[in-house]
Amino acid sequence: MTSTEVKVHMKRFTFFGGKGGTGKTSCAAAYSLFLASKGVKTLVVSTDPAHSLADAFDKPIGFQTAQLGDRLWGIEIDAEVEARKYMKAVQDKMLDLVSAAIVDEIKRQIEIAYMSPGAEEAAIFDKFIELMESVGETYDAIVFDTAPTGHTLRLLTLPEILGAWIEHLIEKRKKAMDLMKLAARYDKPLAERIENDPIIKTLSARRDKFSLARRILTDPQESIFHFVLNAEKLPILETARAVELLGRHGIAVGGIVVNKVIPPEAGSFLEKRRLSQEQYLREIRTRFASMKIVELPLLDDDIQGMEQLGLLSPLMEDLGG
Amino acid sequence: MEKVLKTLRKWWEVFVLFHHGTFIDKRMAVVRKEAFDINDNLMLLLFGDFLGIPNPVSYYMLELLPYVADDLETWERRIQNRKFIIAEKAAQYDFD
Ligand SMILES: Nc1ncnc2c1ncn2[C@@H]1O[C@H](COP(=O)(O)OP(=O)(O)O)[C@@H](O)[C@H]1O
Ligand SMILES: [Mg+2]
Repeated sequence: MTSTEVKVHMKRFTFFGGKGGTGKTSCAAAYSLFLASKGVKTLVVSTDPAHSLADAFDKPIGFQTAQLGDRLWGIEIDAEVEARKYMKAVQDKMLDLVSAAIVDEIKRQIEIAYMSPGAEEAAIFDKFIELMESVGETYDAIVFDTAPTGHTLRLLTLPEILGAWIEHLIEKRKKAMDLMKLAARYDKPLAERIENDPIIKTLSARRDKFSLARRILTDPQESIFHFVLNAEKLPILETARAVELLGRHGIAVGGIVVNKVIPPEAGSFLEKRRLSQEQYLREIRTRFASMKIVELPLLDDDIQGMEQLGLLSPLMEDLGG
Repeated sequence: MEKVLKTLRKWWEVFVLFHHGTFIDKRMAVVRKEAFDINDNLMLLLFGDFLGIPNPVSYYMLELLPYVADDLETWERRIQNRKFIIAEKAAQYDFD
């Protein structure tokens, strides 16, 4: 594939998902290297709280973008760092508007929300959207190395679910404000204040961010999701289920990467395993017939650094640009 | 006579205005009360986790805090009172 072909066919957002240990990180790294080698300015992003992108590239990566090669950058989203930034912004805004005594008094409440079960996910999601918005300027494409399936499905369906909830909150606030406006009919300054209600404004901004994310994720011209699995029995069923679920949420699945396929030259010790893999590979080809299927060989060593990534990245071409 | 009529009319106008005013005031008070109640319930949806009610979006609700921080304490008290009143009623009827 030529550079131009890649640039025409590639999606701006490519996700690699699947169970832990199957090779999501290795695939995301290899694919990002493939794009960069074709002249695409590429950012590879890890959304898995248990990051291993730095291991795959054998280079330090952190919560700030690090350059990994020509036209290639990487970042590992750190939920805690993002949450702290968010809290700081909230507190600064608060000090603008209310007394320090009040700020002090509600510190406890802030702690509670900060520790709430959804907080880590929400913090990751915010950074995720921020990065998505940066495409088109700094980068041409983003490759996402995601967390194991359950976590990622929640992350990707978050905007749909929370969007509806926030809409409900906006409606309630609007109703209260309409009544207030009625009551304040003869009080012009008050009526104006109600018109510019910051709560409705803030909730609406939030809702708009969610719908933007949802629009991008469900646009097959913009986003594509690839599943990584190994040629074994259970992963096939699990992948089929996950593909179905993503489809129901309107997210397009493009390809299946079968990783760690034992090569024939592996020798007699692995021969029995290799034969059973062949059977599962046949099953995968029938079951996912409508998708692109890429097979990656099991290498004789872990994937750590450009040398091994360089072996896999040309094979990623079959996923399409 | 003219003068008396004029004064009478003036008084009548004042009277009407006054009553109109109280009527509007009363109705507006009802409307305002309803608005406040809706808002109190909304606050419960926004910040319920402060009172131990789980909230799927509590992290995102923090960005609203700057605009409601001033009212938060009185709101919590009102809600606690409401809980208390409901508990009292329930006790009356031997609900538990
Ligand atoms: N094709 C392969 N050949 C050899 N080792 C591999 C291959 N793919 C992945 N690995 C190794 O398997 C382990 C898990 O891979 P990783 O990409 O981190 O999976 P995941 O991100 O899905 O948890 C890592 O140690 C990685 O180096
Ligand atoms: Mg990984």
